[in-house]
This record gives sequence, C-alpha cells and structure tokens, in this order.
Amino acid sequence: MSAIISTTAPSPQDGSFGSATAIAKVDPSQRNLSLRAHALLLPLSFVCIFPLYWMLVTALRHEGDVFSTTLWPENPTLENFRYVVGAIPLGRMLLNTTLMAVLTTVLQIVTGLMAAYVFASARVWAGRLLLVSLTAAWLIPPQVIMIPNFLLINRLGMMDTLQALVIPHAAAAFAIMLLYQTIRSFPKELIESAEMDGCGHMHILFAIIVPNIRPVIASVAILLFISSWNEYLWPLLVTRSAENSVIQIGLQMFLGEQGNQWGALMAAATLASMPILLIYLVLQRQIIDTFVRSGLR
Amino acid sequence: MTTAAISTTSTRRIHRPSVDAFLIPVLMAAPAMLTLAVWVYYPLLETAWLSFFEWNMMPGATKTFVGFENYERLLSLPEMPKATLNTIYYTLGLLPMTVALPLAVALLSQNLQGPWRNVYRAAIFLPMIMAPVVIAVIWRWLLNAEYGLINVILNSLGFGKVQFLNNPDTALWTILFMTGWKLVGFSTLVFAAAITQIDKSMTEAARMDGASEWRVAIDIVIPLISPSVLFIAMLTVLHGAQWSFAYINVLTKGGPLLATTNLFYLLYEYGFANFAVGWSAAAGMVLFLGFGAIAILCGRVLQRHAFHQG
Repeated sequence: MSAIISTTAPSPQDGSFGSATAIAKVDPSQRNLSLRAHALLLPLSFVCIFPLYWMLVTALRHEGDVFSTTLWPENPTLENFRYVVGAIPLGRMLLNTTLMAVLTTVLQIVTGLMAAYVFASARVWAGRLLLVSLTAAWLIPPQVIMIPNFLLINRLGMMDTLQALVIPHAAAAFAIMLLYQTIRSFPKELIESAEMDGCGHMHILFAIIVPNIRPVIASVAILLFISSWNEYLWPLLVTRSAENSVIQIGLQMFLGEQGNQWGALMAAATLASMPILLIYLVLQRQIIDTFVRSGLR
Repeated sequence: MTTAAISTTSTRRIHRPSVDAFLIPVLMAAPAMLTLAVWVYYPLLETAWLSFFEWNMMPGATKTFVGFENYERLLSLPEMPKATLNTIYYTLGLLPMTVALPLAVALLSQNLQGPWRNVYRAAIFLPMIMAPVVIAVIWRWLLNAEYGLINVILNSLGFGKVQFLNNPDTALWTILFMTGWKLVGFSTLVFAAAITQIDKSMTEAARMDGASEWRVAIDIVIPLISPSVLFIAMLTVLHGAQWSFAYINVLTKGGPLLATTNLFYLLYEYGFANFAVGWSAAAGMVLFLGFGAIAILCGRVLQRHAFHQG
C-alpha cells in the first residue's frame, strides 16, 4: 500500500469516517456502531476544541472576571486585545510572520519544483540517491545543526533580519520529495512530445507540468505555510528585537513579561493563531486531506 | 501542441546533447541542493568538527582542541544522565497517545456516517495546526495551580490543587500530554484513512464466517494498516522528544530540577545558555548517530513486518 499522490482526495466506495465522501443512508444494523463511535469521538473532540474555546473566552473577559468559570463571559470586552496591541508591536510581528511564511513557502515550492523535475527526469539511480539524501536531511534534528547555522547567520551579518528567517529554509526536503513523486507519475507522453517540439526544461516544467498539478502544489503550499507560521526554534535563535521578531516569539516575550495578565495573554495567543485559524476554517478539508495523505503508507 | 508521439523509451532521459542541456538542469536543481548543502548537510559536518573543541562562541574567544574529551566526559556532564532518561520517557510515553489511543478510536469509529463525520474530523485535527507556543500558553492557563480551570474542577471534586508544571513528579507528564494532545487527531485520521483503504470484502467474508469484531480487527484490519501504524510509531520514536522542545522552553526551561529536560533541550541549553559549544556538538553527534541507527532499524522492521494487501 503506497501513498498514491493523486490530484483528487481518496474516495473509497463507502463513506466511513476516514474518507472524504459520505453516503446519506444509515444502515440500521450500523446504528450501534455509530453510537459507539459518537461515544468516543465526542469526548475526544471536546478535549481537542475546549482549550481553544477557553482561550477565546478568557481573552474576552474583563480583568476582574478573569478567574470566573462561566462558560461565556458575562460582559465580553475587547479591552485585552486593545492592551496587547498597545503593549507589543503586534502589527509588525504579524507582518514579519506573514512575510516570512509567504516568502519561505514560495521559495520552497519553486526550488522544490525545479529540483524535483530534474531528478524525476534523470536516471532512476539519481532519483533514489535524492530520496535517500532527502530522508537523511529530514531526519537530522534541528538542534544538531542549529549552532553552525547560527554562526553563519552571524558571520553574514544577517542577525535579526527577515533574510535570516527565510534563506536557510529556501528548500524543504519534504516538498522536494513529494513533488518528485508527483512529477514522476506525470504522463511521460506530454513531456516527450514537448521535448520533441523543442521546448526547454523551464518551459516544460512551468508551462506544462505545473498547471496540471496545481492541486498538489496548493496542498503542499498550505502545509509549508502553516509549518512556517508555527516555526519556533529558528526564529528564537536569529531574532533579537521585538520589532523584527515573529508572532510566536512575540507571544513568548509577552508571556515572559506579563505572563500573569491572563486575559491579555489569552488575547495575544488568539491574535497569534487567528490567521491560521481563519485559513483552517475555509480550507480544513484540504488541509486535513493533505496532512493525512502524508502519513499514509 | 502536437499529439503525443509514440514513445519507445521506458526511462525518460534528457535528450539534447548540447552543453545547454546539461547546464539548465544543473541550474534548476541548484537552488534547492545548494540550500540543503549549506544549511543542512554542511552544518552536520561542522557540528562534528566543533565537537572536538572547547569553545564559548564569545567574540575573541579561541577554540581549544580537546580531541575526544567531550565524548569521554559526555555522561558525566551535568544533566546528561537525567536528560537521557527523560528522553526515553518522552519517546515511549508518547506512543500511547500517538499510536494506541488513535488506533483504538479509528477502529471503533470505522463506520461512522453522516454530517457528524466532518465535524469530528475538523475538531480532532484542530490541535495539529496550532502553534506550539500558543498551545503552551493555553495549557499553562488551564493548568494553573490557583486559578486554572482544571484545578478549579479538581477542587470542586474534593481533590487538592495540582502543581502540574511546578511539581517535578508531574511536570514531564504534563509536557508529554501537551505534545500528545497536538498529535492525537492526526494519528487517528491517518489510521482511519488507512482503514478505509482496506478491501471491504475481506472483513465482510470474515464476519460472515462468524468472526467477532475483535477477531476481525486483530487478524485482518490491524495487519493491513500496519504500514501506516508502524510509520507513525517510527515517527514518534525518532521525533517524539524533539516535538516537546517548544513546550519545554516556553514553560519550564527543563525544570523543575531537571524534571522536564531531554537531550534535544540540553543541546540547546549547552549551546545557547551555557555557551559550551563543544558539549552541545558532542551530545548532538551522539544523538544524531544514535537516532540514525534507530531510524535504520525502524526502516528494516517496516520493510519486513508491514503487511501488504493483495
């Protein structure tokens, strides 16, 4: 059973929990099983959602009410959010994080596409070598290579800059691997006929292949974006000032300085997760499908 | 665009013999390969190199060559033994939440139909997309000893308050819980998806032969989804302790009294808190080689024992 990188979500014939399609009718004999499923999934869902909900609720409480345990604030207020915006350069941090995530994602996709194309068109042994090297790269814990990278950033004078956040991540082993497998299963006839027409490699890649694998690229891009937004260790090492830091580090700074202003802290946490939550709201099916497919073997 | 020409070659090769034909692919692959070379592969060699020195990264400080001394003294370095033990706890302790529980939930909720399905999927996957710092902050609030909701509930039930993150006995398990909380939904959905890929005729045939639900699960379903289960298990073993890094650094910094530190956190501390670059590098190399060996082992196990359908 290999993970088939297809351009559509997997859709088996039945509509059970793991698939993306559903069947409307419920077989009566399945009702007991359904009940059991609900009995498990309801508590699990609760445990997974409630913390986020509580964060929101706390963020909307007045300072005096913060220790109350009602399920919804009596007098919801935005004062905590106003406080956070005033206390830390939130706008700058969100901008930095957005720029970093967007630039990183774009670079990782473009470099990944080009490298994947070259290796997918090359001999089989080159492809195997690539996969082995990429797996090795992916296995190296970041803590093992962080010191040399830190030193290099220092030597280049890039400390506390956007470049320092983006350039080391200009390529992602995961993206290259996935795009390599996608391009390998691309119909050879299209590529060969383009070659015979005299098309150059860049043209073949960007004018012929890419338009046809847009869904895969979109899925990978979302994964890379989320992963970049949530990045912690590297920004921790290379950002120094609050103005140049990303929202995750900003949140940690806030925790360090005003960690017991729970209302404000929760407001900061909410603001830090808002963009990703909004993306999730709109695209959750696609996000979940992409993540899940990456774990299937 | 002309219709596809008949292809007589089975492997795709780069056809044109000119220099260009070689140059362009090299230039295309270069950005990705160079990036990886400069920021992933070479640093590994550099860390290996640094492990033979004593250095504190201060401007003007010199590197002192000490040979294998860092390695020899590795286990006697402060915090190393506890960190090593904790790493094992983190690694094995995550497996119930990333493999056992998700497997049980996926198996027992296989046939769920209807609109609830998507609601559950979206709900249990939510922690996966949240940033670790945010997760740390939220749970710090929920688990706060005086005012956190969890303790408020415990108090109302008659239990005393629990210092989840300040008590050396509970701190590691608390961090572990946060790490696992993020991943439960992901594993559950991966296993659930793997289960849907099983040919239903096999399970139907077994059921018609009178096999119990339990038997069907053990003898058919689990073996058939074993590649995915083993893969997640392998991911957990290799990366589990590292996944906890953000929570540790945000909430406990390895404390109280070394209760929550692990090897990955220690590498960071040696490097950026103690400025003992040689120690960090040596510990890092041992960690890399150790986990590398485990990875290769896991790869072999996966190949040999994973059951394939059809």
